[in-house]
Amino acid sequence: MTGRAAFREGIRRVNGAPMVVAGMFAVTLFVTLPLSYALRGMIAAHLGASMAADRAASGTNYDWWQEFSAQASGLGTTFVPSIAGFGAVLDNLSGFLDHTPLAATIAGVTAAWLVLWSFLAGGIIDRFARARRTRAHGFFGACGMHFWRLLRLGVVAWLAYGFLFGYVHAWIFVRAYPWLSRDITVERTAFALRIAGYVVFGTLLILCNLVLDYARVRIVVEDRRSALGAILAGGRFVRRHARGTGGLYLLNAAAFLLLVALYGLLAPGTPRYGLAMWLVFGLGELYILARHYLKLLFYASETVFFQGALAHAAYTAAPALVWPDSPAAETIGNAEPTAGS
Amino acid sequence: MFARSAAVATLLILGGATLPAARQPPAAQPAASPPAGTPALSPRNASYAITARLDPKSRTLTGDEILTWRNTSTISATTLRFHLYYNAWRNTNSTWMRERWLAGDTPLTSRPESDWSWIDVTTVRVIGAGAGGDLTGAVRFVAPDDGNKEDRTVMEVPLERPVAPGGTLNVQIAWALRVPRTFARTGTIGNFYFMAQWFPKIGVLEDGGWNCHQFHSATEFFSDFGTYDVRLTVPKGWMLGATGVERDRRDEADGTTTHHYYQEDVHDFAWTTSPDYVERHASFEHPNLPPVDMRLLLQPEHAGQAERHFEATRAALKYYGEWFGPYPYGHITIVDPAWQSEAGGMEYPTLFTAGTRWLAPRDVTTPEGVTVHEAGHQFWYGIVATNEFEHGWMDEGFNTFSTARAIENVQRYSPNYYAKRYFGGFIPWTFRDFPLSRETDGDRLASYRLAAKADTQSTPTWRYWPGTASAVTYAKAALWLHTLERMLGWETMQRIMSTYFARWAFGHPKPQDFFAIVNEVSGRDMTWFFDQVSRSSNVFDYGVDAFSSEPAAVRGYVGDGNARTFAGAPDGGGPFRTTVVVRRYGEGLFPVDVRVVFENKEEARWRWDGRDRWRMFEIEKPVRASFVQVDPDHVLLLDVNYTNNSVTLAPRTKQAATKWSLAWLVWLQDHLLTYGFFV
Repeated sequence: MTGRAAFREGIRRVNGAPMVVAGMFAVTLFVTLPLSYALRGMIAAHLGASMAADRAASGTNYDWWQEFSAQASGLGTTFVPSIAGFGAVLDNLSGFLDHTPLAATIAGVTAAWLVLWSFLAGGIIDRFARARRTRAHGFFGACGMHFWRLLRLGVVAWLAYGFLFGYVHAWIFVRAYPWLSRDITVERTAFALRIAGYVVFGTLLILCNLVLDYARVRIVVEDRRSALGAILAGGRFVRRHARGTGGLYLLNAAAFLLLVALYGLLAPGTPRYGLAMWLVFGLGELYILARHYLKLLFYASETVFFQGALAHAAYTAAPALVWPDSPAAETIGNAEPTAGS
Repeated sequence: MFARSAAVATLLILGGATLPAARQPPAAQPAASPPAGTPALSPRNASYAITARLDPKSRTLTGDEILTWRNTSTISATTLRFHLYYNAWRNTNSTWMRERWLAGDTPLTSRPESDWSWIDVTTVRVIGAGAGGDLTGAVRFVAPDDGNKEDRTVMEVPLERPVAPGGTLNVQIAWALRVPRTFARTGTIGNFYFMAQWFPKIGVLEDGGWNCHQFHSATEFFSDFGTYDVRLTVPKGWMLGATGVERDRRDEADGTTTHHYYQEDVHDFAWTTSPDYVERHASFEHPNLPPVDMRLLLQPEHAGQAERHFEATRAALKYYGEWFGPYPYGHITIVDPAWQSEAGGMEYPTLFTAGTRWLAPRDVTTPEGVTVHEAGHQFWYGIVATNEFEHGWMDEGFNTFSTARAIENVQRYSPNYYAKRYFGGFIPWTFRDFPLSRETDGDRLASYRLAAKADTQSTPTWRYWPGTASAVTYAKAALWLHTLERMLGWETMQRIMSTYFARWAFGHPKPQDFFAIVNEVSGRDMTWFFDQVSRSSNVFDYGVDAFSSEPAAVRGYVGDGNARTFAGAPDGGGPFRTTVVVRRYGEGLFPVDVRVVFENKEEARWRWDGRDRWRMFEIEKPVRASFVQVDPDHVLLLDVNYTNNSVTLAPRTKQAATKWSLAWLVWLQDHLLTYGFFV
């Protein structure tokens, strides 16, 4: 199977699981909504009943915003002008690549969301691997069955990414880049050097990501229990199918960049409060939904590619989970036959 | 002219042997007299004839200067004091470095060996009839500000014969220096050299003694006016820009070129050289102002931004010229410094450094903001030459105020927007929902807000806390000048500024000189204002504490005796009693207006002297009030919290909070999905 075919089939499988897409979107929404509500309270408290609120509701009020920032703490420190429109995307991508430290609250919610996603990843991959409906009990059964394995994989991944961001990133961008660019007097040259740094770091990051992706797929599809074994198997798979896995990864990455570019073109400014605001928010949520879709497409297409290369389509080693009877039914079933009649 | 004179031969024999560089500069000649008929604009009491040679291979410069100095004070000079700024970066014990460390700039102190600098004076000799001769051996370092014995930024030379008031002295000084990797916007990177504060410069003798401060990290400079006649030898083919105009140029046999620059009525001389500059020329013309030739030395990667630099310089020359007074020199050099040179955004007489980026969106005022600002310094610093060691706000604050006003007046710059740079700071993104305003961004309110209590402005600038000095120097002064403009009106303010400019051009005014002119021109005693904004660190914050507009009908017993009746619940109709309580949350005192607007658009205004902690106002009207504002015209721009200055009875707080928290929600979701890369 080629990467392109896997990508197409991945699309088909994600399309066939709209509840998974919607569910993951809902999970992200429910994780973020309480924080958004807390921030809403901070904004409201600072605005009070002032007329500054009117300007802030009608458009932007940068003067007020600067006042807010001067007194903000905790979550409030993340409420900066660059969250508006497409700036939000640039802010996050740039912050990710430049390893910008996160505010404690944001780091906490990110960690919680990653753990939650790790829990759900087993069910998602299982669903895509089977290419058929697994129903809620099958989905969550798979989540539970694979969770500890995926969590162990997550710990290894955390160590690997920690090494990459903590040491390799620091070495490239805190040591090598400043050292190499120290005497550069032309900004374009310095930027080219920076891009070279991103390419080197990005390549390592993608390699690591590829191996861990296929380790995740193998844990679910082959019902592997050992995270380390899955990583080794994932690595072998990537090495033996370098072209296919690489090509597929690039296709997925291109889809992501296309979405980002599209949002960059469409992302509107800050509207007035009212219908326009809800439309803009709706567009933002549509973009977030699309990001979920593409994230799931990564899972689905890589699962398809793995299945196509090592097994057969829709192959999963783990038997379909049989949901146990209720405790009451089991009690009745296990009861000694009563005497008489 | 270029042959070594007998005096220099003697110099070399006596003292020049200690110069580290093999090649010595030609001897300096006394500064040329101005052409006949050219009226002196300034006292010209500190004039220099300098010859210097730059050796890029060893990153050293050797120089020789003849200073012609006239004592304009009322006391005799028994010593001379000179600034040796390059010694600020000799080691970490200098006062400048210690202050940078205090400000938290610790990486600066761990720079490699090649970055550091020094300046060695090898000869000091009084020349002329009856002079005392060689004083090299008597040279000592003094630290008048902090007593730091390790600081070598001020050199004192005892004179064998005092110079009486009005007397003149010629002093020849030879020196050598190592050019640092840029500190304080002077130094080098690669083939780019920016040479400022590079020669031994005499301090200012005042009636109270020498005003010659050590180099401090939060201050700039102060010196007397004079004529500069400077010959600079650099590698052939390197472009050179400097204070003044180039009079002639000569290729030497050793592969170097000597550039001869000359300028009258300035108080400093800076220059730059690099083989990489792209040169452009343009002119400034105005029906009522003298023409100015503009020379731009640009980095090749910014060649497409030449017109943006000229346009901004024109804007400064036009508006400052119209508002304050004409630019008298007829020429100006704009230097676009090399990437990472850290030489950008600095002013020198008839020359300044701007600063731009390879990617510079047109709706963001980079390079325009810095170009207008530094060109504007020709007026506030170059012509009105305040003491930047002691009253830094008098040039930086005045100029920040003027820059913001000029930017506001240039149609193409309005609106300009908030921008942020991503991916290592290279990729700009303009947030077109966030137009910047003169009041908050031009006057730098955000920086002042964070350091409002850091220092009293009237404290000598060199004693400011190094980490927050710029907020008091730049932002606070700009904010109170703008406040003054709003109090007095621009017409009066413009007359104040132009009177001040005319009266103190080519002089050294002090704060009280400006304050006196404000009182004189406005016809009002504004001492209370300057007590608040300049002579204190009080924070201004007025706000609405309570606001209600309820039916005025009384409930309870009314009347007496048999006429006593019980009035029941009001029916909700008029008239309405509107009550406002305004409060002074800060220590700063300022008279403010209180304005209430009613549902029928009528309004009521009260004047509050702003002295008590709070004040209540009441009014009855047939309709309810809609909103109340303290300082509704936003006169007091130093108010650090303007959001609390208003209350409306129909607030849109929930709507605003919902809108922005939803925008933030999308950001947070996108953030999680970005980190979703890991799972």
